[in-house]
Amino acid sequence: MSYLKKTLIILANIFMFGACTGDNDLEKDLEKPTISVNYTDGFPQGCSELQRGNTYTFRAQVTDNVALAAYSLNLHHNFDHHTHDDQGAVCDLEQIKTAVNPLVYLENFQINEEDVKVYEIQIEVTIPDDIDTGDYHCAYSVTDQTGWQSRTSIDIKIVE
Amino acid sequence: MYFKILSIWFFSLCSIAMAQHAPENIKGVVLNAKTLQPIEGATIMGKGLFAISSKTGTFVLTNPNKDNCVFTVSHMSYAPETIHVTDNLEDNNIKILLNEKINTLAEINLYGKTEQRKAMEHPMVATLVSKTFLENNRENSLMQTLEKIPGVSTINIGSGQSKPVIRGLGFNRVVVIQNGVKHEAQQWGNDHGLEIDQYGVEEVSIIKGPASLMYGSDAIAGVVDIKQAKTPAKHSFGGEVNLLGESNNDLLGISAGVKSRKEHWFYTGRLTYRDYGDYKVPTDKINYENYIFELHDNNLRNTAGKEADASISLGYIKNNISTETTFSNVNAKNGFFANAHGLEVRNSSIDYDSDNRDVDLPYHKVNHFKITNNTKIKLNKHTLLMDVGFQNNAREEHSEPVPHGYMPTPEDSQERTFLKNTYSLNIKDDFDINPQNHFVTGINLEHQQNNIGGWGFLIPEYQRTTVGAFAYHQLEINHNLHLMSGLRYDFGLMKTKAYYDWFQSSVTNNDGSTSQVYLQRSLDKTLDFSNFSGAIGLSYIHGKTSYKINFGKSFRMPLANELASDGVNYHMYRYERGNLNLQPESSYQVDVEFNHTNQWFQLNISPFVNYFDNYIYLNPTPYYEGVLQIYEYTQAKVFRFGGEVKAETTLFKKLNLQASAEYVYSRQTSGDKKGFTLPFSPPLSGLFTASYQFKDLSVITQPQLSVDYKITATQKEIVPPEEETEGYQVMNLSWFANLHLVKGNQPVKLKAKINNVFDTKYFNHTSFYRLIDVPEAGRNFSISLTIPI
Repeated sequence: MSYLKKTLIILANIFMFGACTGDNDLEKDLEKPTISVNYTDGFPQGCSELQRGNTYTFRAQVTDNVALAAYSLNLHHNFDHHTHDDQGAVCDLEQIKTAVNPLVYLENFQINEEDVKVYEIQIEVTIPDDIDTGDYHCAYSVTDQTGWQSRTSIDIKIVE
Repeated sequence: MYFKILSIWFFSLCSIAMAQHAPENIKGVVLNAKTLQPIEGATIMGKGLFAISSKTGTFVLTNPNKDNCVFTVSHMSYAPETIHVTDNLEDNNIKILLNEKINTLAEINLYGKTEQRKAMEHPMVATLVSKTFLENNRENSLMQTLEKIPGVSTINIGSGQSKPVIRGLGFNRVVVIQNGVKHEAQQWGNDHGLEIDQYGVEEVSIIKGPASLMYGSDAIAGVVDIKQAKTPAKHSFGGEVNLLGESNNDLLGISAGVKSRKEHWFYTGRLTYRDYGDYKVPTDKINYENYIFELHDNNLRNTAGKEADASISLGYIKNNISTETTFSNVNAKNGFFANAHGLEVRNSSIDYDSDNRDVDLPYHKVNHFKITNNTKIKLNKHTLLMDVGFQNNAREEHSEPVPHGYMPTPEDSQERTFLKNTYSLNIKDDFDINPQNHFVTGINLEHQQNNIGGWGFLIPEYQRTTVGAFAYHQLEINHNLHLMSGLRYDFGLMKTKAYYDWFQSSVTNNDGSTSQVYLQRSLDKTLDFSNFSGAIGLSYIHGKTSYKINFGKSFRMPLANELASDGVNYHMYRYERGNLNLQPESSYQVDVEFNHTNQWFQLNISPFVNYFDNYIYLNPTPYYEGVLQIYEYTQAKVFRFGGEVKAETTLFKKLNLQASAEYVYSRQTSGDKKGFTLPFSPPLSGLFTASYQFKDLSVITQPQLSVDYKITATQKEIVPPEEETEGYQVMNLSWFANLHLVKGNQPVKLKAKINNVFDTKYFNHTSFYRLIDVPEAGRNFSISLTIPI
């Protein structure tokens, strides 16, 4: 049985060796950034109506525990009711219809200053005069330096 | 070669009941002297007389010599009897009682070694999985069945699909071998199953560690080697029908297999069909990124599916040659959870809840056709093995056509198709130089062509050709000490094909203007890779204890998607960018195995330490392409260690207790995610099993009750975009028994099982659906019957 004991000691040592060489006490960022339009200036709010030809400032509040990196805004039609938002309120959707000339807005922006932990997204968008009116979808997303991402989306309408 | 005299005595006690006069025909019955059970297949031979006893042990000899009738009754497992029939037989029914053969061996030296001994001597750390284990633990897919083995886990999607993970590594880092040929499905993807009919599987060998030396590229984390079915015995016919019913997903399954052999020719055949509904989870709503999905009747909507498999093999065996050709086809259709497919939250006008058995969009269809030939020729001290394979892997993914970004609404639901043809050839020469020296050389050739279709782009079309040559040497230093060393060289050529979007996207030029272009997603490129790999290992057997140590370098060639993808992965809702500068991944590993078996208990400990100098990792970057986060293939140094412990004991010859634990630690030690673990890291877990063997009860024999208790720790080791997964405890109960329904026939095997007895709601960190917060399946009652034919 002495053999057995010896072996167990050797194996235990291998495990120990592994355990000790492990964590080099790196501060790991395990937190996602946050994103919200649920404040007074947040825009758009759920079910809001946007008029063609007008210019709006899209505003959302983003935060992170370490450093924010980039964000994006996505406006696309929801004529087929394929998606619904996560704002809680249920908007009255119009009839399902086929898109002819829908608005597509896909842009991303970088936060170039270092170590920004709180930031307000402000993006000016002019709604063209010639696009289809109807149900639209507004989706924000934000990343932090580590590569974590958060998203939020809002149901809106574009009207004449 | 040493050879000593082998002497065998047969002891037999004769007890013959026979009597006086010889009639026209002699009828009789052959019985086991001890149990009085009929003996089938006993040969009754005399001068001009021949019969074989039936299932009920009866036989008839026609026109015997009335004056002097002598015949011999013999059977492989019994001592032969010689019967004299005189003319004063009272009735013409003879009862012949045979005694089981008792062999006394004075001294014996065997040429061959048992498989168990060979496995002990082989320095590579491998686990053999028997047919009994597979039968007793059978779950919905082969990999879920094998998950009970410490160190093996799975990445699951839905109820019927899972892919192997060995010590935390999966996808293309684990090779699956069937009939000697590398099984090619769509290993790289999250939501592709194994495409193997688990009912045809008899024996599996699992190598938990780098095994490129023998299995080539991709065997960097381990191998699941599905062994060829055993050649049936001469002049035999057998088969079985398996029936399975499950309550959780209303599954009905049937599988029927036959195998038979004449003198030299043999064949096997199997048909399997399974049909199942949506599976149930112990929750009525699912919360994903603040979206809430209500579930109808706890059904995970649209996860129903069906599977139909067929296989047939034909073989010939004579003297030193054996050859077997196998044709198999696996066909399946599965739905995917409808509300968050591709991690994007969706509404749909499809009424998913009207029927829990229909498969609506999104779903996939796969068909895997395979032909393999395995030929073995023994020439003196050489054994030549040749495996030839052709595989056609066709997969279609369908989802609702919706516009996305600049992509307009596609015309149909065909999101993606993959059509992959793979040709394989392996030649191996096993050379027994002398009993102490064993030398194996071999080459592996593989050519693969992947074609794509559909409106969604994920990986480009490609052609891949690989050639590998290896040699290894097994040396018996002394009876208990064995050394193995080997080297391998591989060369691979990868040709990717250019791909352009079928729709135009708006691009901002340098001067600030915008233009509409068909974006290029992959390049026309020819890349080549080469690599040396090798292994050296030592095994030492000391009485009831065996020790193994193995050091190996393994490698993996980068895949087409890792090299050349450049586009939106709608499946995962992200932008994936390949990297043409990726080098073959290489991994160095030390494996140790310690095993002690005595009459009271068995203990097995298998730790490992592993280092990757360039692990290929899909890194989530902080940047965007359009509005999707960019994930980029990069290479990072990775350090890992871990291992498994397993202990087993049997008390009072009736109660079997098993306990096992597994753990893996991974760290990226360079690159953007330095300090983070790897994706899909399995948490620390333990499995306790207690089985109790009850007494036989009339026609019910070997009734056994078994309880499994799995304890899994919280997984805090995560990397974006994963979430921490809480620990959980799950209990399963099974009951096995043999039912002797028809006397003289083989018994029907019954298994009744309850999975997740307490309907616990828990999350599996390595499940694809974990990313969208879908819990694992709820309580499931299943019953299966194996009926011999």
